[in-house]
Amino acid sequence: MKAFEYAAPTTVDAALKLLGGPNAAALAGGTDLLGRAKDYVTSPDRVVYVKEIKELGGITGDAKSGMTLGAATPLSEIVHHSGIREAYPALWQATSEIGSIQIRNMSTVGGNLLQRPRCWYFRAGFGLLGMKDGQSLVRAGDNRYHAIFQTDGDALFVSPSSLAVALIALDASAKVRGPKGERTVKVEELYRVPRREGESELTVEPGELLTHVMIPAAGKNGAYEARQKQAQDWPLVMSAVNLTMQGDTISKARVVIYGVAPIPWRSEAAERVLVGKKFSPEVAAEAGTAAVEAARPLSMNAYKVPMTRTVVKRALIRAVQGKGYWEEG
Amino acid sequence: MAEWPASPSVIGKRIPRLDGLLKASGKAKYPSDVHPKGLLFGAMLYSPHAHAKVKSIDTKTAEKLPGVKAVLVIAGPGTTLRYHGDDIAAVAAETEEQARDAIRAIKIEYDVLPHVVTEAQSMAEGAPEVFKGGNVKKGRGQTKGKPEDAMASAAATIEATYTVPMITHVCLETHGLTVGLEGEKKATAWASTQNVYGIAGDLAQALELDRGDVTVYTEFMGGGFGSKFNADVWGTTAAKLSKMAGGRPVKMFLDREQEHCAAGNRPSATAHIKMGADREGKIVSVIAEGHSTGGVGNGTNMILPYVYRGVPHYSVGQANALTNRGGSRAMRAPNHPQSCILTEAAVDDLAEKLGMDPLEFRLKNLDPGSPMTPIYQAEIPIGAELIGWREKRKPRGKTGTGPIRTGLGMALHTWGGGGNPGKQVSCTIHPDGSVDIKTATQDIGTGARTILAMIAAEILGLQPTEINSLIGNSSYPPGQPSGGSTTTPTMAPPCYDAVTKARDALFKKVASAFNNARPEDLSLKQGQLWAGGEPVASWKEACRKLGTSPISVTGEFVDGLSSTGVGGCQFAEVSVDLETGEVKVKKIVAIQDSGLILDLLTWESQVYGGVIMGLNYGLFEEVVMDPTSGRMLNPDMEWYKLAGASDIPEIVVRAYSPPDEKGRQVIGVGEPPTISTAAAIGNAVSNAIGVRVTEWPMSPRNVLNALATASREGRA
Repeated sequence: MKAFEYAAPTTVDAALKLLGGPNAAALAGGTDLLGRAKDYVTSPDRVVYVKEIKELGGITGDAKSGMTLGAATPLSEIVHHSGIREAYPALWQATSEIGSIQIRNMSTVGGNLLQRPRCWYFRAGFGLLGMKDGQSLVRAGDNRYHAIFQTDGDALFVSPSSLAVALIALDASAKVRGPKGERTVKVEELYRVPRREGESELTVEPGELLTHVMIPAAGKNGAYEARQKQAQDWPLVMSAVNLTMQGDTISKARVVIYGVAPIPWRSEAAERVLVGKKFSPEVAAEAGTAAVEAARPLSMNAYKVPMTRTVVKRALIRAVQGKGYWEEG
Repeated sequence: MAEWPASPSVIGKRIPRLDGLLKASGKAKYPSDVHPKGLLFGAMLYSPHAHAKVKSIDTKTAEKLPGVKAVLVIAGPGTTLRYHGDDIAAVAAETEEQARDAIRAIKIEYDVLPHVVTEAQSMAEGAPEVFKGGNVKKGRGQTKGKPEDAMASAAATIEATYTVPMITHVCLETHGLTVGLEGEKKATAWASTQNVYGIAGDLAQALELDRGDVTVYTEFMGGGFGSKFNADVWGTTAAKLSKMAGGRPVKMFLDREQEHCAAGNRPSATAHIKMGADREGKIVSVIAEGHSTGGVGNGTNMILPYVYRGVPHYSVGQANALTNRGGSRAMRAPNHPQSCILTEAAVDDLAEKLGMDPLEFRLKNLDPGSPMTPIYQAEIPIGAELIGWREKRKPRGKTGTGPIRTGLGMALHTWGGGGNPGKQVSCTIHPDGSVDIKTATQDIGTGARTILAMIAAEILGLQPTEINSLIGNSSYPPGQPSGGSTTTPTMAPPCYDAVTKARDALFKKVASAFNNARPEDLSLKQGQLWAGGEPVASWKEACRKLGTSPISVTGEFVDGLSSTGVGGCQFAEVSVDLETGEVKVKKIVAIQDSGLILDLLTWESQVYGGVIMGLNYGLFEEVVMDPTSGRMLNPDMEWYKLAGASDIPEIVVRAYSPPDEKGRQVIGVGEPPTISTAAAIGNAVSNAIGVRVTEWPMSPRNVLNALATASREGRA
């Protein structure tokens, strides 16, 4: 790890001033930044510790009017929040499967949303696009954990935040403060597909700080995750969904998928299947099938296609019916 | 011939490890916890390339950095580096940060060479050579009878290619040691090793000292599994750095990346297997062609067919494909887990083809010439009962209709695990009644410290906690390196010999003090000295009669106390989600014989550990190499997956130890219980989902791929 200057401000204004310097990085739980720094993937000259800033902490609001999460709120607070569990099961389910108890105690909402991809070529120092001598290492190499959508492009990593997938399904917004003031964006707008090496997959600019996430009142929502290990592991794919119902009929649907694209993948194809229909497991299955129609897997990740079909279907069934057909007992 | 006591008071009981509390409470100081005065931190610089020549290396900047005390070049200009993780240079500095910064300040120009890191790359025509002389080395082939003719006449045959990937040891404590010098002639090291006696020799050679000038301590160590027998380049380098730094101790432990890349692996194995049986379900022929890679080291020596050696006709060919990746090392039952998977998968598939219960099929095909056969015949029904084979097992593909299917699988294994003569144990009985047992062996998880104390306690009529069981010190009498499940069967006999002789010497010296008893009238039990059926003194009072002369005896290996050769079987129950490919192991049953069990508690602990390691092999582990860059892509504990607590199922362990088993004396158990777990899990998965998953581990990817292939071919 490269040596750096360290600061622990107590206000957002002070933090922004410190983050305004060249090559500064905000540190909250450290579960991503410190690993990256140790591997020399990121080598900041200044690290600004923001977890102790009071304005960045806490969960406020209620199910009816919506809730606000401070960016420095530890993930364990979400897991222990009965109001969130009740109103936003998609968020609760996604959060409770992140990392381990220790990681959820340390890591924060903002840190999870703005963590960098886990792509093993990126983490080995080959850059976000994983290119060597003009060739994609990902395409020619081991891409079992990589994208299945938009694979004609150069960005083949997958977006790492399962929290983002749940929040986008819930139509959440994010407050970002910077030297030019404050702006509010949709959580999905925090992400973009980088077009060339050196371009970030995150839209939060250097010197800016994510301060809050606002979640509006939600419809029937839920999440479902497929993974290799039951203990601490990343999802292979997961999906979070949110359905607005008018009587029995779905009037609005949001279907978002993790692990399939360089951004949290909003599946409009699945949403189109759902809107205007009465919910049934068959409709959920149809939505799952529609979700993967545009999938173009790489050489080693075709397995993600049936898996994605399944997690979309199951997230929908879980959101509407609670217990699913796949659960024992 | 020596004999174990017929009705023991300590041996065979469940005795907690003497150092269990120290380990559980974090008070045990492992070699990587040791922090002697003046400690310098060492760091290794290793190759980022799979294959390269060092053109130039410049350490000037690194040497001038603050805190840097010594820099040593291992691979000078012209040296060929053969894998990601190959050693280049090392630094010792005041802090770990300074050492790591100095490593990065070493400037190297590489001539990057073409590499081969996968078996396919290695075996391709015109492939770059790992060493001069070609990459593919033909291994031991075997032919018995007329396999082709027998295959042609078989009533049922199967043919498939089964694959298991390379894995690494992933020792929780990485390889390394701390070593320092006092003056010119004395070195001390704390090493994480399974060979405390041997490491002293390695370090003495590196420092040009006599063996006795070097003392190595291994009080505790965090796992070796076959990969920690030598000081290795990093260990001898630490010694040289210490010498360069005026003798200050240097702590050199590998980072996880180099540990994965360079410190050993269990080679992969792939075999194309044809197997045929007659109408009665007797295997008549096996034809197998296999290949494997162990990086720059040996590949798998496949034992095919594995335990079913009575098959009348077989031919086996195999090749080792060298690759640009760190070399293999022994890993908990070398060659056996791979051979077990390849054979047991084929056996299961053939039973399926014949429509036979794979348990009955196995019983039919046990080798009539093998001494293990009666053991398997006794163990299999016990395991079947405990897993619920009769009630729960459904034929493959008939496991229900929902998305979650459960299945059962089983596999058999065998191992040696005998004792070797040549090692020694000393026993000293002091006049204050304290007893020291000393030998230069170590406890890598076998419970060695506790077992030696139990043997001494048994013979002296004491409790194990009353014995000072001193191991992990190279200056003690030469002890066994812990490999091949030999530690207990090798160290138990000389311990028995030393303590028995010391006891007899004690009797001889003190007998006259107790009513002029004869030595042969004396005995020891319940902490008392007995003469003619009466307790006459406490142990301490008896020892006090020694006056100023303690008794000290060195024991040698004696015949009759240990033997070799074990058999075991394991059963797995799994549930598989057909739609996600997720596998959950619900239960594992392990039945194991190993002759006379000295400490049932440490024995069970060994079996649990073996099963958990086998579960990792079955579900999670694989080395992933990048074909283009030649690097290992998962040299960490994130993408190199290992079970966490919630991945561990119910594990039922049973010792198979009827009286005639005990008569087989002491046999090691470290390796056998890890051999068949992954095979049993794979067989259970195939039973659950109705199709064979031919590639280990049983990951969602491999399961879904197998289902997709079967569906494409109209089989599912």
